[in-house]
Amino acid sequence: MTPERFAELLDRRGPALARWPAADRAAAEALLAGSPAARAALAEARALDAALRGALPRPDPAALARLQDRIARSIARAPLPAPSGLLARLRAALHPAAPAGWGALVAVATCALWLGLAGVPRAAVDPLGPLLTLPLAGESL
Amino acid sequence: MAHSLTLPSWCRAAAATPARTARLMDLAGATDAALMQAAAAGDRTAFAELVGRHGERALRLALRVLGDSPGARDEAEDVAQEAFLRAWQAAAGFDPERARFTTWLHRIVLNLAIDRARRRATAGPALGPEVLAEWPDPAPGPEEQAATAERAATLHAALATLPAKHRAAIALAYEDGLSGAEAAAALDVSERALEGLLRRARQALRALLEGKP
Repeated sequence: MTPERFAELLDRRGPALARWPAADRAAAEALLAGSPAARAALAEARALDAALRGALPRPDPAALARLQDRIARSIARAPLPAPSGLLARLRAALHPAAPAGWGALVAVATCALWLGLAGVPRAAVDPLGPLLTLPLAGESL
Repeated sequence: MAHSLTLPSWCRAAAATPARTARLMDLAGATDAALMQAAAAGDRTAFAELVGRHGERALRLALRVLGDSPGARDEAEDVAQEAFLRAWQAAAGFDPERARFTTWLHRIVLNLAIDRARRRATAGPALGPEVLAEWPDPAPGPEEQAATAERAATLHAALATLPAKHRAAIALAYEDGLSGAEAAAALDVSERALEGLLRRARQALRALLEGKP
């Protein structure tokens, strides 16, 4: 392992060599044994690591308690979890389309189905139609 | 891992009877997946147990993406609250076979926090005299303490200049007990891509710190 590769791995994986893969760790330890530059890079990486650990913000207990209370209140007001599955989602999507309730929606759907299957009724037969073919009085037969 | 049972006041009041106490003890021993299954059926107490277990880390991640100024702390609380609300609403769709609850939750938190940080960045400059003025002055005291506080303030300011996704990578890298695979999954990237983000973030931080007189 070269010092450049070691410096890159320090940036990628951090200076905790124990968390590195075994092969890279062994190569890094061999490099550190003979390279002052590598040791300096490790020291610099450890300093940045420690500074970051100290500087990264942490939530205070009051903020956490406030958050838990806010979540509890919003969950108490929120509707129950939306059901999963295609049928449940379809039912949820159709729900706003049934302002008078599911009964009305089903009734409308049944009527539409019945009308669709029954088809258009034929025109009524004219009951006087056959008379038009009869000979009129005085007409020669 | 032991978790403390922290329940909101509306839940504590309801926990007075022995039967309810026994149920809460059951909840404390339940897995996250079992609690989510109960939440999907509408069990708000089970969900409160999940909030007690994972609320702190969710808030910490949001805080570390959004920054440590007073306004950002409020935003971080909003983000964490919104993430849990989304988790509640989508509880029925949670599949423990596909992801751990924490990975799923952290992904929601980080997506919300990154989106909010990006919107804030496009709305105005991320770092200027106004932003730096938001950081508290080093506390008076011994010289070493003041130097440490100044270095921390400088790091805060340097972190504020990083892209939101780089801050998210840093936030995940410094979470104890989170493996590289879990951190990468929370950010929805490969482990190698996460390492790349960390490399660029550390290089940028070092350059910013060295550039400071």
